Amino acid sequence: MRRRFSTLSIISAAIIASLVLGPAAPAGPEGTSAGTVIFIHEQEPPSLRGGWVDNNLLATGLVTNNIWYGGQIYNKAAVFEPRLFEGKPKLIKTNPQTVTFRYKASAVWSDGKPVTCEDWKATWRVFVNPQFNVVTRAGYEDIKSVTCKGKAGTIVFTTPFAAWESLVSGGVYAAHIVRGKDMNQMFNNSIPVSSGPWKFQSWQKGVTLTLVKNPRFKAGPPMKLDRVVFRYILDTNARFQALRAGEGHIMEPQPQLQIADFIGDKDFKVQTAPEYAFEHVDIQLGPRGHPALKRPYVRQALMQGINRQQIARALFRPIAPGLPTLENLVFKPFEKALYQKHFNRWRFNPTRVVSTLRGNGCTGGPNAPSTSNSDIFSCPGVGKLSFRFFTTAGNQLRLLAFELMERDLKSVGIELIPRFQSAGTLFGSTLPSSDWDLMMFTYGGGPDSKITSGSLYSCRGDQNYGNYCSPKATAAFNAAARELDPRKRNALLNQGDAQLAVDLPSIPLYVRPKLVVSTPKLSGPLLNPTSEGTPWNVATWQLK
Amino acid sequence: MLSYVVRRLLYSVVVLVAASFLVFTFVSASGDPLAQLNIVPNLSEQSRQNIIDRKHLDDRIPVRYGYWVKDAVTNQFGTTLLGDRPILPDLWRVMKNTLQLVLIAEILAIAVAVGIGVYSARRQYSAFDYTATTLSFVGLATPVFWLALMLQVLIVQIYEQTGYRIFPIASLNSVDPGSGFDFVLDRAHHLVLPVIVLMVASVASYSRYVRASMLEVMGSDYLRTARAKGLSERRVTIKHAFRNALIPLVTLVALSFGNLLAGAIVTETVFSLDGMGLYFVNALLANDPYPVMAWLMVTATMIIVFNLIADIAYGLLDPRVRYE
Repeated sequence: MRRRFSTLSIISAAIIASLVLGPAAPAGPEGTSAGTVIFIHEQEPPSLRGGWVDNNLLATGLVTNNIWYGGQIYNKAAVFEPRLFEGKPKLIKTNPQTVTFRYKASAVWSDGKPVTCEDWKATWRVFVNPQFNVVTRAGYEDIKSVTCKGKAGTIVFTTPFAAWESLVSGGVYAAHIVRGKDMNQMFNNSIPVSSGPWKFQSWQKGVTLTLVKNPRFKAGPPMKLDRVVFRYILDTNARFQALRAGEGHIMEPQPQLQIADFIGDKDFKVQTAPEYAFEHVDIQLGPRGHPALKRPYVRQALMQGINRQQIARALFRPIAPGLPTLENLVFKPFEKALYQKHFNRWRFNPTRVVSTLRGNGCTGGPNAPSTSNSDIFSCPGVGKLSFRFFTTAGNQLRLLAFELMERDLKSVGIELIPRFQSAGTLFGSTLPSSDWDLMMFTYGGGPDSKITSGSLYSCRGDQNYGNYCSPKATAAFNAAARELDPRKRNALLNQGDAQLAVDLPSIPLYVRPKLVVSTPKLSGPLLNPTSEGTPWNVATWQLK
Repeated sequence: MLSYVVRRLLYSVVVLVAASFLVFTFVSASGDPLAQLNIVPNLSEQSRQNIIDRKHLDDRIPVRYGYWVKDAVTNQFGTTLLGDRPILPDLWRVMKNTLQLVLIAEILAIAVAVGIGVYSARRQYSAFDYTATTLSFVGLATPVFWLALMLQVLIVQIYEQTGYRIFPIASLNSVDPGSGFDFVLDRAHHLVLPVIVLMVASVASYSRYVRASMLEVMGSDYLRTARAKGLSERRVTIKHAFRNALIPLVTLVALSFGNLLAGAIVTETVFSLDGMGLYFVNALLANDPYPVMAWLMVTATMIIVFNLIADIAYGLLDPRVRYE
């Protein structure tokens, strides 16, 4: 009996020792080769079929953007630079809109076949095929014909499409791979070819996805790394702990307070910059909203009663100090030549709010702003200024933003009634029903999103759930969507935004900060404010 | 016995059908499954309509439930709502992962708990017994997520102080797990922390049952008889007391094992383990009723089966139990 116990003890000790000493690695992510970078990410793609209704995700783009390599890419300044194209695509005619492009002679697929215009044409056919559940057909469905001559192509549009350069420059599928296939079932688990610097190697579902250097890639600088491995850790805390524990080299986290711990830590490098996604509060102007919101002076009171600067500071100072408030619903602060601060005229001014409301006959509120105020204004013909405020539940940043807004507005006699809902209910039922007064949420997007601002702010726009309707703004936004000259288009968009700043259908709050946290051992990653993802310049990445 | 098993299985089918209908109804009625598409700019209406047609989203819930039943029976639980992705391969993958985790944790927990429980009973009111009692209450009272987070923090601190990563703090495998024995070792290494977390509550609970059960048995007449016959105390404990004391533990383990297979949701979430629990959470967050339903069917079946096993085992171990 005693001998059996001793044997069992020795075996147990051996197992424990092998678990502790065997795989435990002295520093260095998991004993991988020197040329392997581990990218920790929060979400695993459901498939590698990006741009589909179930999969319009950054997580997928991070993997596929360097596989389906584009003709051009937005760089860190959100300006196009060539990739597989020989030069910029050209708009050679405006009526009908005609565009030409040419792929580099060195552009080849990883199986040796050349990248040609036929690949672009095959991609177009995928996107206009009504059987395929692509997330958007915008632009593709406006194309009349694509004529190919080897590497060169000519695209003719039926109706003007202002965002043509993005459309033409996007990544393309390999014609010889996708032709005749049911694209709704393609690339579920792998991608067989690549036109970019890396190619697919393996995917252990729920754990890692591995990409290796594409040896046939000659159209740009080759990757210095051997591999990039995406490691999927869904829990926020575990992700940060894993980076700290040396289980990865880089991550592109959501703006979260845990990042503050990495700022100033010599073992990590944190990059931060504003991105295109922006937070805002939409105001309901339709019949199901509060009648007071149809009065311009009430919307002005809301705008001037909220300290937007303080909200941006309170939410992001530890992780993105100096994040500016947003003063334009169309252009972002980093688009310096185009960004005009139209909303800047409505600075935080609680005293002015009280006087404006009193000046319009509202009664029952405070005589002067006060943090201890509990009196709420009632205004002639529209009743008490008490508004249902909707946003997503369970988001700490939004909860904090709401609390600050609620406090600001209460001090000037305006009440916010919180209505927090799950994202599914909020965006699925409440938002389209227009049965809300105020709603705070984020609009994503990229450099071209502004072109379709009309869908948000023109009369009967597809996503104009706030029911705002101004003939002036509608005319400007609709004209911008058809205008092919970028200079004129931007002027029209700013004209539309100026009208938004007068009518106030929405309160812009701030652009969200984008963050990249990496170890100093890894050089090269540069934050890109667009949806290209941090590996946009992976060819320059190097491990020390 | 056979008629009892058949009767129980027939009841189970009714329970499964009722549960599946209720869950399908609640999940479907909880919100628009295409909600997330409402804020996608320039969404293709054709694509949205394709999904509505394919999944019959225009029909009423009972009709959609009928289509789901058909899919579940004839097409291995069918496909996901938006992506049309086959459900069964993913479910099978996460089931295997959860099974590994839960089996290891349960086997170790039983072994440790039995040791502690038996020794505590034999040394009732000793220092060991008091310590074990106190620790088991601490174990029962410790929230799983907290323990998991603390273990992660501890490992990171050790890494930062010494440069050695004793255990990985997330995921099921390393980037390069190797193959064969290397792979097994790597997987075991990754499961150490989650297993510890799962074990703590189980050990705490099982050891209390074993102790109580042992104490009850050790005071019984037939043990006094055994001792009077001159049997050694070790033989009395192991051969006569221990076997009978195990009966309630067998029932308890069978019942809790079924529940655990449903997914150690918190543990799998905190350690980002690709298991049943995380699968369920993700499906729920995506408002996709189809993987949720598949998960429900599998877990409900497991719970029913293990409950049945518990009942049968109890009858086999205790001849006084009759299946009427």
